[in-house]
Amino acid sequence: MHKAKDTWSQNKSTFVFEEGKLTSFSKESNFESSHKVYKDGKAGIHYHIGKVDDEEGYAKAEENLVRERPYPFELETGTRTRDKREHVLTDKELQATAESCMKYLNETYPKFRCKVTFTGTEFERRSVNDLGMDYGVQDYAVGVSGTFKHLDSKNIDDGYFGFNMRDFDEKVFRQVMDDYLGQYENRVELPEEIILDVLYYGLLGFFTNHLNGEELARGTSLFTGKIGEKLFSEDFTLLHDVSDKEAWFNPFWDGDGCVLENDQLTLVENGVLKTGFADKKTAKEYNIPHTGPAYHNFSDIPGAGGLSLKIKRSEKTVKELLNGSLCVIPVDYTPSGYNEKGEYTMVIQNALLFDGEKILGRLPEFKIATTAYDLFGKDFIGVGSDQPVYYDKQLLVRVNRV
Amino acid sequence: MDYQFRFPKDLYSEVRIEEYYRIWLAIQNGKVENDGESAEVGAMVRVFDGNMWYTATTNSLEEIQSQLDALAAIAAPNPNIYEHPIVKEFEVNRDAILTFDTEQDIRKVPRNQLKEILDGYVEKCIDPEDKDVTFWVTSIGGEHEKRRLITSKGTDVAWDTQCCSFSMFYGFTVDGVTSYGGYNTVKMTMPELLGLEEKVLNKKAQYLNYAKNAKDIEPGDYECVLAPVVTAMFTHESFGHKSEADFMLTDKTLAEEWVLGKKVGSEKITICDDGSLVHHGYVPYDDEGTKACKTYLMKEGVLTGRLHDAKSASTMGEQKTGNARAQDYHKQPIVRMTNTYMEAGTDKLEDMIAGIKDGVYVMDVSNGTGNSTFVMNPTLCFRIRDGKVCEPIRVHMLTGSVFQTLFDVDAVGDDFELFDSYNCGKGGQMVRVSAGGPSIRVKKLSIS
Repeated sequence: MHKAKDTWSQNKSTFVFEEGKLTSFSKESNFESSHKVYKDGKAGIHYHIGKVDDEEGYAKAEENLVRERPYPFELETGTRTRDKREHVLTDKELQATAESCMKYLNETYPKFRCKVTFTGTEFERRSVNDLGMDYGVQDYAVGVSGTFKHLDSKNIDDGYFGFNMRDFDEKVFRQVMDDYLGQYENRVELPEEIILDVLYYGLLGFFTNHLNGEELARGTSLFTGKIGEKLFSEDFTLLHDVSDKEAWFNPFWDGDGCVLENDQLTLVENGVLKTGFADKKTAKEYNIPHTGPAYHNFSDIPGAGGLSLKIKRSEKTVKELLNGSLCVIPVDYTPSGYNEKGEYTMVIQNALLFDGEKILGRLPEFKIATTAYDLFGKDFIGVGSDQPVYYDKQLLVRVNRV
Repeated sequence: MDYQFRFPKDLYSEVRIEEYYRIWLAIQNGKVENDGESAEVGAMVRVFDGNMWYTATTNSLEEIQSQLDALAAIAAPNPNIYEHPIVKEFEVNRDAILTFDTEQDIRKVPRNQLKEILDGYVEKCIDPEDKDVTFWVTSIGGEHEKRRLITSKGTDVAWDTQCCSFSMFYGFTVDGVTSYGGYNTVKMTMPELLGLEEKVLNKKAQYLNYAKNAKDIEPGDYECVLAPVVTAMFTHESFGHKSEADFMLTDKTLAEEWVLGKKVGSEKITICDDGSLVHHGYVPYDDEGTKACKTYLMKEGVLTGRLHDAKSASTMGEQKTGNARAQDYHKQPIVRMTNTYMEAGTDKLEDMIAGIKDGVYVMDVSNGTGNSTFVMNPTLCFRIRDGKVCEPIRVHMLTGSVFQTLFDVDAVGDDFELFDSYNCGKGGQMVRVSAGGPSIRVKKLSIS
């Protein structure tokens, strides 16, 4: 019998500002563990929220062998640690920084009601087993998130924003607020051609679903039988990337304990579908190559998932990619999600017009429609080398107004 | 358990202790995909000095006192704290309502029973020879929750709730395109999840019909009939969120827009919220210790009430409603809905449909959002032509203006249902709610 243990801890300090003033301070300390035993191709697992000593944890995991959860695989044995922390703020430092940011916001934009949360999060993940595996990662970031509403608006909120920084810079906060609010009262018309400039995480779910090895193997993926085909734009390359500095609080190993070469798996390269993804269990069941990743599961055996997707950035800035055109930055929108054919619509209730360097004004409400093939194919423009407005990676893409 | 806390002087303090037990099982294409359970105990400790809330969370109940002391050390003592308008609003209640401390308590359900229930459904609802089905997954689960709030003002209330869920989803692959659909439900006890085979197979047939025959529809405005499950979401998203008072506290524009007594919808519409109903949004005492009550939000189209926590009630000079809810011990309470529904009317579904020349019958929906424009994502729609329900149609979104659509409801059915399968997100917190309503007809909704 072999033993393994996963632990996760997160310590958070949060300052909340409502109607311009500090209304609450919270301290949160979370710890979770998963004790696992492996015997005769089965796994016994005990998931615990809060502290538990190892003797009790492994004993309960052993009792759980009765569930007969299959895990007929060799355990991994690597050792490595990664520390992505840059500048960890004390509570007093974070409070002073947050109050300074809010002073600027309140004084510069008195016509807006904002609720803003500043959260310092320190994170640690570790996985060990009795064959010698010892992986660990630490991270720290200050997350700023909030909603804003113009005092004359009949909406509950007019928009929302959020970004993370490992070394908090107040100048970035000010710039983000200036971009969102500075030209908000200036109403402008929609351009003839609509180019969306959006955070793309929500748009990549199509690949998460249809590149899953299980879906590919059983024929329920739109990509079944299409590996090796050029389906998307020459400029579109999609990776699962756990090395990414822009990914937050993520381990570099997967739920099976596997580590990718260069911490990356290329799924689409220059528009060509290269591979789906499969964890050990899926690979065995469908007799397909094991690529990883497997999602981390503290309460059961892992399965295929846990992708950290990234579109390869262009060498050009957002401004250069726009090449003189204007783009739309949605600040309050509701997407439909993809339907079974890959079609996608979005109601954009509030948006800003952007030229790649400065915000020009606020746009009227409108709807757009597109498909996954168009988004990452003929209508794909790129992901800029810089990250204006959002302070995060953003996709430029042409869409149809409906 | 008997707790004796030393509450700090000149501060309002409270301790909210929560216990959770969860159990779940999923079978996918004949194999157990997930099989787990978890138990969790945690507490939120809060201290209020009149200006700020100071909070801490812990999974170790023996740390509660030290957390209280630590928070008190950074708060500013306020000798008049019990005269503060918010603190004055806090009720003092002492009660224990353990509704599920019975044989129906899911903590007493053997894990093997979940497998037996699912195996029964698989036997009756899965045909291995059925070529239309390329994928299926069925799941069952339960969560028991117990909350106890103890405050420095003297409140000590404890209550429990639970929910049990079942789903059976199918994948149908037609011409290389796989669409998914099926049946899911949430009830309060495990026995209520038995005997649903006919409903499962009925939904399967509807989604198979959709997969094989759904047509695209020209985007535009259509007269629509909404099934009860869709009305439930419409009620929650289009109006429910506007009834949460916390968004208008310092907002003159919104306070004027939503002034009590104003006509905001059709006289056929009456909407209530009631946390005392033993359904998915059951909250006999909210997370500030206020006892639940039934609140009429709209009566015959006129705005008659709104949902409050202590802060919004004291600020607006209105009655508390027991709607201060926190997702769990990691979160502070904010104003939330509980069990929110549109009351039944007298119209018949068949009459509503018969009165439409060209429209859409929206039969099922997955999710939605609500702002001035509300959005719902339907999963099952049919074209109505000359008063008859015709072919299934593919609809991505259903949208409308809150300010207009409530006036556009011209028929309210007598087929009321309350659905326990909803969860509501707001301010980064997800809470259980139920939503309900009858079939309704709306003169115009935007379809895309």
